Amino acid sequence: MQPSRNNKAWLAVAPVVLVVAFSAIVPLMTVVNYSVQDIFDVNTRIFVGLDWYRETLRDPRFLEALLRQLSFSALVLVLEIPLGIWIARAIPRQGRQTTVFLIILAVPLLIPWNVVGVIWQIFARPDIGLLGAAVSALGVSYNYTSSPVDAWVTLLLMDVWHWTSLVALLCFAGLASIPPAYYQAAALDGAKGWRLFRHVELPHLRSVLTIAVLLRAMDSLMIYTEPFVLTGGGPGASTTFLSQYLTTMAVGQFDLGPAAAFSVLYFLLILLLCWIFHASVMRRDA
Amino acid sequence: MPESKAHWSLYLYCLFLLAPLYWLVSMAVKHNRDILGGLELVPANPTFANFVEVFTNPAWYQAFFNSLAYVGINSALTISVALPAAYAFSRYRFLGDKQLFFWLLTNRMAPPAVFLLPFLQLYSSIGLFDTPLAVALAHCLFTVPLAVWILEGFAAAVPRELDEMAAIDGHSFSYFFFALFIPIMRGGIGVTAFFCFMFSWVELLIARTLTASEAKPIAVAMTRTVSASGLDWGVLAAAGVLTILPGVAVVWFVRRHLAKGFALGRV
Amino acid sequence: MASVSVSGLTHRYGTEVKVLDRIDLDVADGEAHAVLGGSGAGKTTLLNLLSGLLRPNSGTIAFDGRDLKDVDAAERNVAQVFQFPVLYPGLDVAGNLGFPLANRRWGRVAVRQRVGEVAELLGLTPLLDKKTRALSLFEKQMTAIGRALVRPDVALVLLDEPLTAVEPAAKWRLRQALQRVRRELRLTMIYVTHDQTEALTFAERITMLHQGKVLQTGTPEDLYERPAHEAVARFIGSPGMNLVPARVRNGELCIGGQSLCPCALADGDCVAGFRPEWASIGDTGIPVSVRSVRPLSTLGGMQVALVTAEVGGATIHVRQPMHAADNGQARVRIVPERLVLYRHGRRL
Repeated sequence: MQPSRNNKAWLAVAPVVLVVAFSAIVPLMTVVNYSVQDIFDVNTRIFVGLDWYRETLRDPRFLEALLRQLSFSALVLVLEIPLGIWIARAIPRQGRQTTVFLIILAVPLLIPWNVVGVIWQIFARPDIGLLGAAVSALGVSYNYTSSPVDAWVTLLLMDVWHWTSLVALLCFAGLASIPPAYYQAAALDGAKGWRLFRHVELPHLRSVLTIAVLLRAMDSLMIYTEPFVLTGGGPGASTTFLSQYLTTMAVGQFDLGPAAAFSVLYFLLILLLCWIFHASVMRRDA
Repeated sequence: MPESKAHWSLYLYCLFLLAPLYWLVSMAVKHNRDILGGLELVPANPTFANFVEVFTNPAWYQAFFNSLAYVGINSALTISVALPAAYAFSRYRFLGDKQLFFWLLTNRMAPPAVFLLPFLQLYSSIGLFDTPLAVALAHCLFTVPLAVWILEGFAAAVPRELDEMAAIDGHSFSYFFFALFIPIMRGGIGVTAFFCFMFSWVELLIARTLTASEAKPIAVAMTRTVSASGLDWGVLAAAGVLTILPGVAVVWFVRRHLAKGFALGRV
Repeated sequence: MASVSVSGLTHRYGTEVKVLDRIDLDVADGEAHAVLGGSGAGKTTLLNLLSGLLRPNSGTIAFDGRDLKDVDAAERNVAQVFQFPVLYPGLDVAGNLGFPLANRRWGRVAVRQRVGEVAELLGLTPLLDKKTRALSLFEKQMTAIGRALVRPDVALVLLDEPLTAVEPAAKWRLRQALQRVRRELRLTMIYVTHDQTEALTFAERITMLHQGKVLQTGTPEDLYERPAHEAVARFIGSPGMNLVPARVRNGELCIGGQSLCPCALADGDCVAGFRPEWASIGDTGIPVSVRSVRPLSTLGGMQVALVTAEVGGATIHVRQPMHAADNGQARVRIVPERLVLYRHGRRL
């Protein structure tokens, strides 16, 4: 049935608009307002136009953080999406075991993000950590607090640990909704392994995978807490991503103008990337 | 046919998921000198001293309740505003509906770091700074869009004939909405609460910025204690274990809806 | 093509009651065989056992005399058409038709040629490069049928209520297409359905399945004229066979207290069955009370009515010219040669 036209429906939507306006529009306007002013104190402000934007885009530390951020998010997607699909396929479709696996998978998603950082700190430290000690015992020199490569590997491992479950649970839900007749037909038609996945399962995962990629892209672009706890952005600035750089600027140094310009650019970047992805999916659907 | 048995790689992955958690739990029941003294896979002298420390120190358990308070307020607020909106989006076309839906979703894309300063100023100016309500409201930034999105999927799955039948039977709209629609939607509401919890309980940046001492959440208490008294690994691990428990409880509670919930009601 | 021989096939899920209980079934090479039964008869389980998706608890399945105990679903060369059109969504019609061949590592040219042949046979040629989303339900199910026929070495084609999902208007077109395929290719086919009309018009022989047991196997005439079991008698025909309580006494068959004909059976109660067309309302015969007279159709300028009446507590139907039927007390005459007698549900 076609939904009917009714502008009174706005009444039902009004509370949401109100709440979100309060928690999004007002702050966003403040940010935009700051981004075009130079603020010395409450009473002394100078309109500077787009100067802060120009400055931010020329700031080498911003550009480095941006590059790191994009590499990190790309790696996260490349690792977590295929692994999540693999895990989802490995879960039995029904039975008591299934519930146990789903519960285990869901647990990392519900741990406070700084606790995730703490867990990995405890786990990966070469002196007291199981992983760190085990790797060192194998004769590999490993210390995520001093080696940038080790820090990146540990961060990625932590993010995989933390978030692959989300992809896996979404994909499992997608797989569980495939009618059994498709599997029966594929079995009789002799499709196995890759061809079974490619022609039966993957087409049915399109919508959940779109959601999974969007969520993982957004959230990895915003990542702050876990690296803050685990590496503090170091060693050096090797794991300083956009959110961390921005927070240092805004709360640490109170550079309100540049921080606001940074914020606007940051938000627009995520919006743009998500929009490009979404639009390309929609175009292929049509 | 899909496998009815778990692939061996799944056991391996679960091991990977559980190993860091095991290590956290084992740390929580060790004395600090045992932790620093050398690696032991199984605690030789298990102790509950770390948990006792967390439970007897008001700074810890107060923080725990603060967290539960803002998560609870946030879930209740989110669901009560998102339900009517989800109903409207699933049933009607109205002026600007698509734009509105998209705009709601863009809020989910806003990095919390962007909103730190404005939030701080906004909530200070209206006197909510350092209250659970401030954190709950701020978290609506990402819970409300998600809730509308999920609930819209569930609402669309409720047959429209139900609306019409209620109208034909002479029931008022409010009777239909509260006595018929909401009970049918309870699976979706449970799943939405799960997601609200998932994103509000785990968030640190906004929660930390909007609180000072009174409403300090547990997640923040952890980071601060660490820096204050050096590194008391045992107590830190014990507090970590305690922060995981509510999450495990919530997962247990919605375990039957987990698979369907992640399909967001629309697959 | 292969002949199919099933014997003693038994299956249960978990510890529940048997879904299939000692099933015997023989289908000749090139025969179109229908398996007819209501819901819960075990039809789907039988199909899955034949295709190898399920393993039986006991009993054997053999194609051309070769036991299939250890043969996988993919190696049995069985094709199936499902209730709703199962198509691979990422592929176009040609891709769907060629899918089983591509899985068996056929060359590109050979696949294209074979797909072309099958498409020509089913009239799918104009659709070959269409996406499956753009097809009507009828075209989708035709594509699914084409995919089942595409392997030249296919041993057996299973059809699981293939007309269910198709628009009513397209049902007869699909049925005709299936008939043509059957005639031209002489495939061994097993057609599972709950619809007796589909079974009676499609198959050379029918097996009637009821609660996991075979009640009867035979030609459509066998099942219609000489049902081996009361359940078959009731199920087949519209309305089903009339079944009335009867008694054999002193070598005479009596219905409703009236002696009907000589009978060689031992004395005792039994059930007499007859089709509505082998009885008529008249002045002589067994007394009945007529409950309703419903006009059915016009045959050669004469209105035909379906008369519902009661005999000894059982309801019967009689097909009758309209003018001769009336409410109230009447008598019904039955052609004795067409009577079928049952004791304990089985034909005597």
